[in-house]
Amino acid sequence: MQQIMHILQTQGGDIVHAIGQHIGLSLISLLIAAVIAIPLAIVLMNHKRAANVMLQITSVLQTIPSLALLGILIPIVGIGTIPSIIALVIYAVMPIFQNTYSGLTTIDPNLEEAATAFGLSRRMKLFRIELPLALPMIISGIRIAMVMIIGTATLAALIGAGGLGTYILLGIETNNNALLIIGAVLSAILALVFGAAIDWLGRLSFKKVGIILATLVVLIGGFAGYRKLVKPETTITIAGKMGSEPEILINMYKDLIENDHPNMKVSTKANFGGTSFLYKALKSGSIDIYPEFTGTVLESLVTGQKSASHNPATTYRVAKQALKSQQQLAYLKPMKYQNGYDLAVTKQFAKKYNLKTVSDLVAVEDKIHAGFDPDFYQLKDGYPGLSKAYNLKFASAKTMEPSIRYKAIANGKVNLIDGYTTDPEIQEYHLVVLKDDKQFFPPYQGAPLMTEKLLTEHPELQTTLNKLAGKVSTTDMQKMNYRVTVKHEKAATVARDYLKSHGLLN
Amino acid sequence: MIEFKNVSKRYSGNQAIDDLNLTIPTGDFFVLVGPSGSGKTTTLKMLNRLIAPTDGNIYFNDKRLIDYDLTQLRLQMGYVLQNIALFPNLTIQDNIAIQAESLGWSRKRRIERARTLLQQVDLDPDKYATRMPSELSGGEQQRVGIIRALAIKPKVVLMDEPFSALDPISRKQLQDLVLRLHHELDMTFVFVTHDMHEALRLGQHIAVMRLGHIQQVGTSAEIMQHPANDFVRGFFENEHASRMVTVQTLLDAGYGTPVTTPATLSATAPVRELAAALQTTSAVVVATPTGSQSLTTPDLLDYLATKEAD
Repeated sequence: MQQIMHILQTQGGDIVHAIGQHIGLSLISLLIAAVIAIPLAIVLMNHKRAANVMLQITSVLQTIPSLALLGILIPIVGIGTIPSIIALVIYAVMPIFQNTYSGLTTIDPNLEEAATAFGLSRRMKLFRIELPLALPMIISGIRIAMVMIIGTATLAALIGAGGLGTYILLGIETNNNALLIIGAVLSAILALVFGAAIDWLGRLSFKKVGIILATLVVLIGGFAGYRKLVKPETTITIAGKMGSEPEILINMYKDLIENDHPNMKVSTKANFGGTSFLYKALKSGSIDIYPEFTGTVLESLVTGQKSASHNPATTYRVAKQALKSQQQLAYLKPMKYQNGYDLAVTKQFAKKYNLKTVSDLVAVEDKIHAGFDPDFYQLKDGYPGLSKAYNLKFASAKTMEPSIRYKAIANGKVNLIDGYTTDPEIQEYHLVVLKDDKQFFPPYQGAPLMTEKLLTEHPELQTTLNKLAGKVSTTDMQKMNYRVTVKHEKAATVARDYLKSHGLLN
Repeated sequence: MIEFKNVSKRYSGNQAIDDLNLTIPTGDFFVLVGPSGSGKTTTLKMLNRLIAPTDGNIYFNDKRLIDYDLTQLRLQMGYVLQNIALFPNLTIQDNIAIQAESLGWSRKRRIERARTLLQQVDLDPDKYATRMPSELSGGEQQRVGIIRALAIKPKVVLMDEPFSALDPISRKQLQDLVLRLHHELDMTFVFVTHDMHEALRLGQHIAVMRLGHIQQVGTSAEIMQHPANDFVRGFFENEHASRMVTVQTLLDAGYGTPVTTPATLSATAPVRELAAALQTTSAVVVATPTGSQSLTTPDLLDYLATKEAD
């Protein structure tokens, strides 16, 4: 609870921005869906067969899992706001269409007959009689669609459209329940508030609803158009994966570029999505640069390099070559720190047995009770490979959820765990990382990834971004992650502090 | 003048109307009467082209109905539905003026017209004009249903069993009302009913229908005195039989006041026993399944008077 309050205080502005994005995304989608579904239902109200076909189609669309739908849309329309809106519209069309259609077709046939017999024009019959009578049904359809949209819009964060989903994903990714709760509770509150607003709309007369909807369309459309017009021409867009570390890095890139080249504008997109989204975004030109790990490049982005070297320099060289020849991407020099698997013990434990390297563990292997994340326990690159490489056999090794590991070692339930080298918990729980002296763990070094085209157009970027090459030690990164994740400082501030203290900014 | 010439209507092999010939004089109160399935409602709905004849032609003022512009035709014909069908989303005055709105009358003129009509059927405009239909009783709603059909002064008013869902008292009041309106207004009324009693009470001319055929057309006197066939005669005998009234009939017609005093007469007793009892006292208490009811001499006289007027 205290943590939630702290986050709300320190990141209030960002959260309000995310709420704004969420509302914008939801409202635009809802309006587009209504503008499609309601006229469609009106056109089809007297064509039962066509309407049934349409109902089938919309129901089928409804059954596509949202993640799959986003996946289908990315190759077609790229990432960001547009595919999110398309996906949300596709979901919202069905409840609105279905309710409008049944609202219009279940009107008392006597009223229909009366309207016909009175010689009312088609238009007057529709606007004076049919739509007002169907209005309660239409409103309830819009309400259903709206709740669905606000819920599903949290997934938009996956593909870089922002919104409250950012906090949910970030919370899951960084095992931060406070963030998760903030994202989830705020979306629930949004759904409630909008539900109440729609109920209120439903009690107004048909004419007033029309006026309010038209005003909303004009306002949102005008706002979007205005933003489009006044948005500064950004030359470079830098995005990062979920979490504090990429956010710190992209802020460093931004500061360096803007410092060296005042004529260049940089926009950052933090917590933009997972690896494949960012990679596709880079390939499609939606973003220009993002930091990627050497190990990840070999593992998932290029082909034929599965048996990676455990030497960081070799790994980088192989990754760079493969990216250049296979994907026409430029991969600048990596920073010093490695964000890979590690083994950590408490300070007291390390002191007691004089542990510095993984090799030191051999002497005390019968005293080690390890807690491993299930992946690490099974993967070739994890415990099985490690025990072979170092000829290690611990007294016991349990698998546990990643989130529980650090607590388990802090509580003394286990005395050794696996982790990521830059996890802020290492600092938080006063742990010591043992040096991988046989270089068993595959190297994961971060470096800027961009298209060759961008580098050809702006060769000066290479010099600027390579200023970070070999900089930022693992401890530096741990400390910075700690400040952002645990202390809730702004990533931009933390990044600038580092650059200034290392004399990288003029 | 409306003329049906050799009009037939078939529904997938089912003959609803068979070679119908009929003339409805301008300004008439014309009643189509018959049991269900006789084709009376189909005949009515062919007049405003809600139903199209399969064969034959209908002439309205010597011009074929199908040669009229559909909207223009319907705007010349008021329509009263059996289940009233007031638009629940519109106020009473908007309901009344819906056809006027369609014709593009100004709002001021529409409200004026609605208020005049409300006054004409004894509904206080100040009280009723801006209410919603659900706030009115069934009888009040059908009054509005009737004046809605009159709003733009149509030449013809079509009424499809408008009173069948009403209680006997409201029905009688509304029958009086349409008779009065017909008398006051220069319009042709075409009225459909399955109730011979209602037909005899209202119609200047009556067409008795059965299974898509006209059995007899004539004034009420002609039909009563010279029924054309056994069917028409049978229809009447039922009507006469229904007049073998018991005390219950009066209660059903809405007479009587609930009282708590002990009853002296059974509801199943013939009316003449009530009359005999009323010779010695001014009110007789009748036992009914739902409690005692008091019937007075004026009740009996009032009842007999309306019966005799038929």
